Amino acid sequence: MSVFRQGFIDGFSLPAFMVAASMIGYGALVQSAGLSLGLAIVSTLGIWGLPGQVAFIEYMLLGAPVLSMLIAVSMANMRFLPMSLSLVPLFRRSESGWRLRYLWVQVMSVNTWVGLLRKVPELSPDQRGPYYAGFATICMLCGVAGTAAGYMLADTLPFYVTVTMVFINPIYFAFVFAAMRARACMLALVAGAIAGPPLYLISPEWSLPFCGLIAGTIGYGADRFMRRSA
Amino acid sequence: MFDQSVTEWAPWTLLLLAIAGTYLWRGMGTAIAARIDPDSELLQWVACVAYALLAGLIARILVFPVGILEETQLVDRLGATAMGFVLFFIFRRHVGVGTLSAAGIFMALVWARGQGII
Repeated sequence: MSVFRQGFIDGFSLPAFMVAASMIGYGALVQSAGLSLGLAIVSTLGIWGLPGQVAFIEYMLLGAPVLSMLIAVSMANMRFLPMSLSLVPLFRRSESGWRLRYLWVQVMSVNTWVGLLRKVPELSPDQRGPYYAGFATICMLCGVAGTAAGYMLADTLPFYVTVTMVFINPIYFAFVFAAMRARACMLALVAGAIAGPPLYLISPEWSLPFCGLIAGTIGYGADRFMRRSA
Repeated sequence: MFDQSVTEWAPWTLLLLAIAGTYLWRGMGTAIAARIDPDSELLQWVACVAYALLAGLIARILVFPVGILEETQLVDRLGATAMGFVLFFIFRRHVGVGTLSAAGIFMALVWARGQGII
């Protein structure tokens, strides 16, 4: 219990606060799209990745083809592949932790992932599961609370407040990513940010997957080139 | 049937598909985590594609938003973002400072436009 509580308490600062704030924006976005509160909450817990959630709602608004929406949502959350690849081995030396690995990846977000990685050196393998569970629990509670609050307040709040909450969605991730220091990541992020808007003008429906593949390959290639020539 | 518009499908069906499409990556990562070298070049490329895609999505939302953000000015969105980045770097890449200052500046700009001040 105490390690679970420690994770819960550690999560109850900037991570959970930002989850709540950005989910308020998400809740308001769902409300503005004319979808139900239940759908808002289930999408928060089920997709549990804000870019994918936002892509889901925006594709609903665009009225895009179903396949395009699915690929966009899925690819917007593609980071979960490398993230789970680096998260799951942390539970390997714990029997109880390893057994729940398919659950751990469902409750994984950028916040819970970073939260565990930061703490790993201080935790024994058997403590990682409870700590991570505590951290994820508070993040998800705040996520649901934020989603519901944003949804219900969307109509009563003045426009400048509601629209700011929606603005928090992309802006929070912009800063989370801007705080990353790995060169390959940074190059890919910059290339993606530059390529995203013009590609959207060429093909609103298919720009995301192409942006990822083209700009990601450029970022990876540039980093590899620099590594070779260094 | 998948080339039908999302408006022709029930939202809950689409949500379940979206959840499955997201879990695909989580589950796939878990399944191969036991076998793949976490430092491999392939994995690094996959990560780059993911980051580029997310950066593209964020930039697209800020430049060509869909929905409620569409009703705000491009200069307000980008100006607030730029100011947030200035403070973000002044405060040694503090995510909270960057996010809250950009959001605060944006809110002030939208409010001021609503009041007819700017």
